[in-house]
Amino acid sequence: MPEAARELIEVGGIVRESLPNALFRVELENEKRSVAVAHVAGGGGLLRLLPGDNVLVELHPYDMTRGRIVRKRG
Amino acid sequence: MSVQKSWVELQKMHRACTLVVETLDLLERAAVPGTTTKELDRIALENFKKHGAKPAFLGYRGYPATLCVSINEEVVHGIPSERRKLKEGDIVGLDLGCVVEGFFGDSARTVAVGKVSTDAQRLMDTTREALFAGIEMCRPGKRVGDIGHAVQRHAEGRGYAVVRDFVGHGIGTSLHEEPQVPNYGPAGRRERLVPGMCLAIEPMLNMGRAEVEVLKDGWTAVTEDRSLSAHFELSVAVTEHGPWILSEPYPYAREVAHA
Repeated sequence: MPEAARELIEVGGIVRESLPNALFRVELENEKRSVAVAHVAGGGGLLRLLPGDNVLVELHPYDMTRGRIVRKRG
Repeated sequence: MSVQKSWVELQKMHRACTLVVETLDLLERAAVPGTTTKELDRIALENFKKHGAKPAFLGYRGYPATLCVSINEEVVHGIPSERRKLKEGDIVGLDLGCVVEGFFGDSARTVAVGKVSTDAQRLMDTTREALFAGIEMCRPGKRVGDIGHAVQRHAEGRGYAVVRDFVGHGIGTSLHEEPQVPNYGPAGRRERLVPGMCLAIEPMLNMGRAEVEVLKDGWTAVTEDRSLSAHFELSVAVTEHGPWILSEPYPYAREVAHA
């Protein structure tokens, strides 16, 4: 019997703070906490992010405190 | 990291897996036009009882039956029913698991009901071949990603899509153990394989697109485009000499079996 794949989880959030090394602190919308996320744009180029931007974050269940910004929303 | 099993534990895994595959043989013979899927479920349960084994799926996360029967566009987790009859030309995924002396066996195959189209036959053949391509990777020094890579290469090379929403898994004293074993992805990634690991490798291939959806019963997964889907699964132990398909006799010289 196959197991449901436990893969990357996508959550929306809002950028709260810009950190060095293209890192950002993002407040997740489904939980009351912030995570540090590396900003790797899917298309290759860096997209400009400012505090207040609404973004989509990819998290891995092994370490839910860090993730990757997939794209900007809205 | 998956739990490494001792030689004695592997013997128990072997007994569980052998019973599952023998029961699948019975079911394959019973899968003729007109049989209800519930009837297949009964055959499976009775055979387990006869051999003093417990069904592994019954009650697992609330699953209501011993067997999963997934017909045509159903990918996996089809629930047996009195109302569902097999028809000539169906391809039927039979997925079964049991518990013997605390150890789990898990295996699946897709069988033809009567005569099926050559397209359907080719899908089933390719899925079985993809399973064996994955099993071939079950050697110390390889990684879990090598298994998925081999499966994906074989499947996509023949034009089929690999289901991503469900994955294989470690197996032992519970049905699903670490690690997860996806049927896709880059080679050389994920967990290292070591002797004594037991993995249930189970490619699910679709004739159309890879996307699946789960029906309102909360279990039955079907292809989103309703294309045909096939599923084969075997439980395999990694030994220092290579893969051991646990439903078969130990294939290497006994005296060199790992501790």
